Amino acid sequence: MSTASTLRAGRAQRLLGAPLVWAFVAFNVLVLVWILASSAKETRDIITSPWALPDALHWDNFERAWNAGNFGPAALNSFVLVGGTALATVLLAAPASYALSRLGARSAGAATSLFAIGLGIPAHAVFLPLYQVMAPLGLVNNLWGLWLLYTATSMPFAVFFLTGFFRSLPAELEEAAALDGASPSYTFWRIMLPLARSGLITLVLLNVINHWGETFFALVFIQEQDLQTLPLALLGFMQQMQYNGADWGGLFAGIAVVVLPLVGLYIWLGRRIIEGMTLGSGK
Amino acid sequence: MTTAVPDAARATAPTRRRTAGRAAVGPFAAHRKRLYLPFVLPAFLLYAAFLLAPVVATAWISLHAWAGAGPMEWVGAENYTRMFLDPVFRTSFGNTLLLLFGGGTVTFLLSFVLTMLLRDLAGRSTARSVIFFPNIVPALVISILWGFLFQADGLLNSALRSIGIAHPPAWLAEENQFKVIMLGIIWMSTGYYTTIIMAAVDRIPPYLYEDCALAGANAWQRFRHVTLPLSWDVIGICAVLWTINAMKTFEFILAMAGSASSMPSTSTWTASLYAYTSVFAPTGVPQYGIAAASAVVTLALVGVLVVLIRRLMRREALEF
Repeated sequence: MSTASTLRAGRAQRLLGAPLVWAFVAFNVLVLVWILASSAKETRDIITSPWALPDALHWDNFERAWNAGNFGPAALNSFVLVGGTALATVLLAAPASYALSRLGARSAGAATSLFAIGLGIPAHAVFLPLYQVMAPLGLVNNLWGLWLLYTATSMPFAVFFLTGFFRSLPAELEEAAALDGASPSYTFWRIMLPLARSGLITLVLLNVINHWGETFFALVFIQEQDLQTLPLALLGFMQQMQYNGADWGGLFAGIAVVVLPLVGLYIWLGRRIIEGMTLGSGK
Repeated sequence: MTTAVPDAARATAPTRRRTAGRAAVGPFAAHRKRLYLPFVLPAFLLYAAFLLAPVVATAWISLHAWAGAGPMEWVGAENYTRMFLDPVFRTSFGNTLLLLFGGGTVTFLLSFVLTMLLRDLAGRSTARSVIFFPNIVPALVISILWGFLFQADGLLNSALRSIGIAHPPAWLAEENQFKVIMLGIIWMSTGYYTTIIMAAVDRIPPYLYEDCALAGANAWQRFRHVTLPLSWDVIGICAVLWTINAMKTFEFILAMAGSASSMPSTSTWTASLYAYTSVFAPTGVPQYGIAAASAVVTLALVGVLVVLIRRLMRREALEF
């Protein structure tokens, strides 16, 4: 990169390209700021002067969304459901991935590939039989049912992700533990699992992000308002707007309830999230 | 992926050695083997029960006429023929293909341009983080926002009016709506693929570009002869990911219609919307057979495309 021609090319790229990139970046930031600003504005102002900042902070938007719009209970449902799913996913996928990647069993390779096939199965290819089987068992319209469903459908990615992670850990520690007389299960729970902590945390993060906005299964399997998750509350709120008139202020307050936790998470752990989501492909 | 191989080989080598000589199987190795099933089975059974078995069951349902309750009537391939004669399905399927190939092409071109532009930009990691962000926001939220942006008295039109365009196009009219939806999906996805491709391009050693400079190669030649071949396998992976993700597109289109009870106009449906509405239509008898058939067609499409992509993109691995 030291000759004059590349320098010139670089300069041209910077002059033309940089504004384009920053325009894209500015657009994204603007969208986010605009959502947050609109969540504190009156509906009238959102329509008439969409670009203005709020004249005063209209917290009543949030109050309406939280109570009348059902975002309060929905946030709680989502929170518990998403947390429970992430926990169960890690508890099941971590031992499985460890066994598949490190125990050297003959069927491990085939089983890992079989799990990977699950990555390509869309929700609409499985919901019919699942609904038919889960309804008589009382698992439809039931958060436990959705929890089971989320955990089960998380397995392909979780196993795919964690096998890659366990594979990258050094084998010496396992061997040393064996020489010290640690049992294999002790080795897993006390030595390998703590070593894989960073991978597990990333997996939990990605799992939470995935299910925070999951719509298809929730829409099919939950009908009762008390059991709504946040995406359903959003859809329900939009439905109400058709009858009660547009309440864009309330809607954007609801959107802020959905998006703000993600923004916080992203600012806090963004690098980890990006690396996790692109791992296995960028490597 | 290449970096993981030595580790894996090292991990399996000792166990294999132990099992090869019968006498060498110590109690420890046997103990380790005993751990395998209890560790793998819970995850596998759950996966098989909730994903693998239902796929098979869906294929079975697709050969029947069924309203979800009552008797199932065997109709063979009739659901498929009926479906392909249905203009709504043909639109949905066409949209799926359009998103897959048209949307995919635009997304990948944009991702490459962004990667090249970001290469030596000051503040690139900040820019990358911001561009990536729409990816972790639920598609439902992006869709609601997108709808508001493009609606008649929405943001875009108010911006256009302020610069003197009194009659902006009807963005959400039937014939434009799917294009607007695709634009939204492309906006959402670009950051993701840019990040993946960027990571691959970053691994290309700089001396290759220095060689290019010495040989007097221009930007296009640099891209064509260094960047593209050396990130080829990652592009292949991206293509697989895009295929899978595009097939899953659902809530983005659903929310454009405004709510769960009224469905969006059929001109914007994709195969997943078609499957959903065949069962949960606000009016009419649920048609499980048809829904299942459309799901099977999507699955087959994913399968064929993934195999094709892997075939087409396979090349001799370039060591660098």
